[in-house]
Amino acid sequence: MQSPDLNSLREFCNARRIMLCFNGPISRSLIEEIGNALRNYLEADRVQPGAAMDVFGIYIEMTQNIRHYATRMNYGEAEAAATVVIARDETGRHVVSAGNLVEVDDGRALVTRIEQLAALDKAALKQLYKEQLRRPRDTGQSSGAGLGLIDIARKASAPLAATALERPDGRSFFSLTALV
Amino acid sequence: MSRAIEMNDINIPGTQSIPSIRADYAAGLLRMAGDSYPENSFELFGPVIEWVEHYLEAETRPLHLDLALLYLNTSSIRAMMDIFDLLQAAHDNGRPVSVLWRYDRRNERVRELAEEFAEDCSFPFEISPTAIDHERS
Repeated sequence: MQSPDLNSLREFCNARRIMLCFNGPISRSLIEEIGNALRNYLEADRVQPGAAMDVFGIYIEMTQNIRHYATRMNYGEAEAAATVVIARDETGRHVVSAGNLVEVDDGRALVTRIEQLAALDKAALKQLYKEQLRRPRDTGQSSGAGLGLIDIARKASAPLAATALERPDGRSFFSLTALV
Repeated sequence: MSRAIEMNDINIPGTQSIPSIRADYAAGLLRMAGDSYPENSFELFGPVIEWVEHYLEAETRPLHLDLALLYLNTSSIRAMMDIFDLLQAAHDNGRPVSVLWRYDRRNERVRELAEEFAEDCSFPFEISPTAIDHERS
């Protein structure tokens, strides 16, 4: 077996100011543990409590959305994986990204949805958020699905960016990035 | 009868992702404090919503909520909205209900979160900053 090239992985992460990254099947407890690490880093970096809560909240909504999607689709463990990266950009803003495998149609719909949200200002996002909050829930659905994306858009300090990369296996890799 | 359940107090100790929840039936008091981001918020808040519903139906005494909630994920926000809707309906029927939401004044996000709930409520809903003295320099 070839040993992994940790040095180039390390250089990749350092060059992009990645403070935390994860790739693999993600469980409820892993979300919490990575969230703890994130909170500790933000505190050590003396990030304002409000901004730290925004970064943490975006991370939680993104990863819980991924878990809910995988559950709804009855995905197996390997398909229920997430790729999560939290970094800082050159101006010191936090970059929160998360990606997962989705059905091609869902990937396209998600990208369209994100583009719609990206065109809205904070007041329009708040109105949409309140409407979505009042919308009747599907019975038996535990998640705040739909609301999560609007919440992420509201917490972000720049429009959200999303891509869905179609793969030869008939699925897409959806990725979403928010800046705080 | 369908109302066979005994209306016990609720006493859930908080964890890092679940707030502490204490419902005191005799006192007409519901306290919740801490972060709330469980994956399935319905599991957590379902019994709390039922408790509020039952209390408001069965009693004529006031109900007070004392909250020191911090971060809420969107599914917890939905559950809180359900609770505030119950309070609003009771208030509309002339019942005395009130909310006090305490927050650390260094964290504006919590105040904003509480204010967004308060916007849709016409019963007494106080949002109160708590002084943090030990951090002052």
